[in-house]
Amino acid sequence: MKAGMNRYRIAVLAGIGLLVLLLVNMTIGLLGQLRDLSIAEDDNLQWSISQIDVEFANLNAIISKRLSDPTVADDEIKLRLDIAISRLGILRFGRASILFADGQSFQNLIAPIESFSDQAIAIADKIGPISDSDLLQLRTLTENVRPDVRKIALMGVELSAVRNDAQRIEFSRQLTRTGGIAIALLFLMAALMAILDRLLDRAAKRDAALLTSTQLLKSTVAASLDAIVTANDKGQIIEFNDAAEEVFGWRRNEIIGKTMENTIIPQQMRDAHNLGMKRFLAGNAPRVVDGGRVELSALRKSGEEFPIEINITSAQDGGRLKFIAYVRDISERKINEQNLIDARDQAQRTDKAKSQFLAVMSHEMRTPLNGILGVLDLMKTTKMDRQQMRYTDIATASSEILLEHINDALDITRIEAGALQLSEQIFDLPELAHSIVDVLEPLASEKQLTLTLRIDEAMRRGFYGDSNRLRQILTNLIGNAVKFTTHGSIIVHISGIHGPDTSSLRFSVTDTGAGIQADQVEQIFEDFVALAQSEGRQSRGDGLGLSISRKIARQMKGDISVLSELGKGSTFTLTVPMQRKDCGSSLEDDIAENTSVIPKDRLEVLVTEDNNINRKVMRDMLQGLGHSVSEAVNGVECLKQAQTKRFDLIFMDISMPTMGGIEATNRLRTSGGPNAKTRIAGLTAHGIDEFQAQAEYAGMNEFHTKPIRLEKLREILSGINAHPSPAPHSDTLQELCRALGADKVQSIGDEFFSELDKLVKEVDSGHMQDRSEDLAEAAHKIKGAAAILDQEDLETHFTELEQHARNNDLSDLPKRLKTIVDIARIARVNFATMVKNTRT
Amino acid sequence: MIQKICSRALAMCLVLSFGSLGPALGQDMMTLQVTAGSSNAVSTDLSIENLDALDQVEFETSTIWTDGISTYSGVSLKALLNHLGITGNTIQMVALNDYAVAIPFADLNDDAPIVATRMDGKLMSVRDKGPYWVVYPYDLDLKYQNETAYSRSIWQLNRLKVID
Repeated sequence: MKAGMNRYRIAVLAGIGLLVLLLVNMTIGLLGQLRDLSIAEDDNLQWSISQIDVEFANLNAIISKRLSDPTVADDEIKLRLDIAISRLGILRFGRASILFADGQSFQNLIAPIESFSDQAIAIADKIGPISDSDLLQLRTLTENVRPDVRKIALMGVELSAVRNDAQRIEFSRQLTRTGGIAIALLFLMAALMAILDRLLDRAAKRDAALLTSTQLLKSTVAASLDAIVTANDKGQIIEFNDAAEEVFGWRRNEIIGKTMENTIIPQQMRDAHNLGMKRFLAGNAPRVVDGGRVELSALRKSGEEFPIEINITSAQDGGRLKFIAYVRDISERKINEQNLIDARDQAQRTDKAKSQFLAVMSHEMRTPLNGILGVLDLMKTTKMDRQQMRYTDIATASSEILLEHINDALDITRIEAGALQLSEQIFDLPELAHSIVDVLEPLASEKQLTLTLRIDEAMRRGFYGDSNRLRQILTNLIGNAVKFTTHGSIIVHISGIHGPDTSSLRFSVTDTGAGIQADQVEQIFEDFVALAQSEGRQSRGDGLGLSISRKIARQMKGDISVLSELGKGSTFTLTVPMQRKDCGSSLEDDIAENTSVIPKDRLEVLVTEDNNINRKVMRDMLQGLGHSVSEAVNGVECLKQAQTKRFDLIFMDISMPTMGGIEATNRLRTSGGPNAKTRIAGLTAHGIDEFQAQAEYAGMNEFHTKPIRLEKLREILSGINAHPSPAPHSDTLQELCRALGADKVQSIGDEFFSELDKLVKEVDSGHMQDRSEDLAEAAHKIKGAAAILDQEDLETHFTELEQHARNNDLSDLPKRLKTIVDIARIARVNFATMVKNTRT
Repeated sequence: MIQKICSRALAMCLVLSFGSLGPALGQDMMTLQVTAGSSNAVSTDLSIENLDALDQVEFETSTIWTDGISTYSGVSLKALLNHLGITGNTIQMVALNDYAVAIPFADLNDDAPIVATRMDGKLMSVRDKGPYWVVYPYDLDLKYQNETAYSRSIWQLNRLKVID
């Protein structure tokens, strides 16, 4: 298009140039002609030549007159002769000589005339008057020369005519040329007009196209959903579309001409805007302009600020800089985003609260279970009739289920919180498998099921991994198989493939149970799903086991899969990678080395535990087993006692006031005292994982979760390093009384309430001022005891108190204490009544 | 090309050279007769001395009647008439052979035409366009190269007469 335009322009300019040249040429030609015409020298010359004849005639006439009339003066004749002779010069010189051009005929004619001239002058110049003979001779001469003079005059006329003809022809030629040039000019002009016409036509078409596209653009801009604001380099708004009116609240005609700074840019951004404009106009790299989408804020006419998404581009419009801003009101989106974030935060908080609640609940539930299971175990050592035995068994079984649930819930929360840690160690696979099967064998035998363990020869070796978690999964899988199989057999098959470094272990548990419907296979791995049997729950409830197992398996980079056929049975397969490690006899050596205590009939045992009730239960159980028991309420007291007396075994609670179990163990091991090598068993009501590493590092030989069951206690005492495994029960104050005897319970209760009073008094007297941590510990202790003694209200209040103390929020402490005192007074009466009732 | 020369000095030269003229030129032949008004009452005869006494104009030019460029000197016709105090509309110039041509006073310029008394510094004889020749500086201006100027370039002039 542009090249075409240029071609046309060049053609037009060349045409105009050509026209000018032709015009100049024509003008010069015509001017020359005109000058030739104005310099009409020939006419006069022709006349002068023709006059020669006249002058010679006059000479002849005057001579003839003298001959007849002698009065005619000599001078008269001489003058006429002079005049005639003077005319001859005309022929010889000037233009006439050019006209005649010395032609031969002219020479022939001029020769006699000149000879006449010479002879006539000779006669005339004689001294004295002119004689008659001279006169006659002069007449003869004159008459003789006259024909020649006439011929020459005629010749001049003729030559002039010829010359004039030539000039006319030349002039006519010139006219023809000029006309030709004029015609050429006309054609050229016509061509130029045609080109101009085309150009005009093209320009008109382009104008129309431009108009169309401009209108199209205008309607696009007007119809745009985004606000479009155009400003010049002074920041003045020069265009404002419909959407912009909508967004900013300004009308187009009232904002045009105003600066953006005074209208749509918020106060606090105006300086930045001015700086940015200056920077851009100075040619520096822009930050916002041409920088894509940016989120900023803008101002509505009503004065409210709102978030926008803006895209500013710059453009040159006829040499003037323009800024075009595409603005989108994102306030709604921002609000939605905020809502979403709030909702997410809320959900996260809720989820966290749930997890925390579960963790706290599990912990708080385990403490009372500790008491229940402890007394149940103690009870079994007393004399009971058959029915009592049955009741005790039921209570024990129920508590165990409860504990299992609690542990499961704790596991789930821990896994979900990412707190599950694998503690890897060398273990002997056949030994592990046998120990699991041995434990579960009795359950299977109860249901007349055969439980078979098969281990491939290649797998009879040591591995390195978290054997406890492996045990947990396998126990769950085999336990489930036993649970859901009514008759037939259960086969546990351990196989695997040895890779270069690691082996892929494969544990399959095949049962002949009811099987699982294909569409429910994946569901069984979900939390809290226990597949309902048509006849109801067949056996012990199991909500979380498989879900936990799979989660653990996956954490160990393995997985659990299931193959099942309804009515025929199921095969659960655990595959898990493990490093191969030779264990040989080192395991036994480790145990022998670490276990410095050889079981003997009567052991010296130190129970370090801050909770009075737990401590007492533990003491009773140990004493019931025939051992000697010393007590310490915290780490400091433990260290004190350990200085003077050598113990065979120390039970060490982890969380204690003043000094915790980890620190106490650490000090004991490094003290070099009598108990530096004494076996230490850690106890915690929290999950094992949180403290296991610290406990081992500090030098604890083993680590157990409370509650400690009598059986477990036996195991510990006999040196068998039992894995942490819970056992459940149920609890009421009555059962506690039945188990321990009303007197004992009453005395425990009395102690509890007096401790409570003591704490209240201490707080009242201001002793606890600025000791919120101590207060929290005290509240924690009483809370635990309250749980065991079934004082729910108190437990709740002390939980709160502990919480507030830990947060250092003691603003409403007096009010809180008053409530506690009130509740405690009533609770004490009720407690006494209830204990008394159990006696009857 | 046109020069005004001190008239006195030139007049002396001309008086000296006058004696060498041929016998064909009578004393009265060098006289220019000027007649004011048509009534024929006033008539002035000017001799060559009279003409030489006036302001002289001299220029070089070619003519269509001669070869090459020559110097012509004499008295401006307009100055001559002014000197004589002659007024009118048209002046008639007449040659020895009675050839006559009229020229309006309005067409007279200060320096052209002149009544040339000398060609190349020499007086002109009747045999050679003398005694006086009305000459324009043709080369100077195209306007002197037309039929009117040529026809007014009268030679062998010996009379001037105001006719209108």
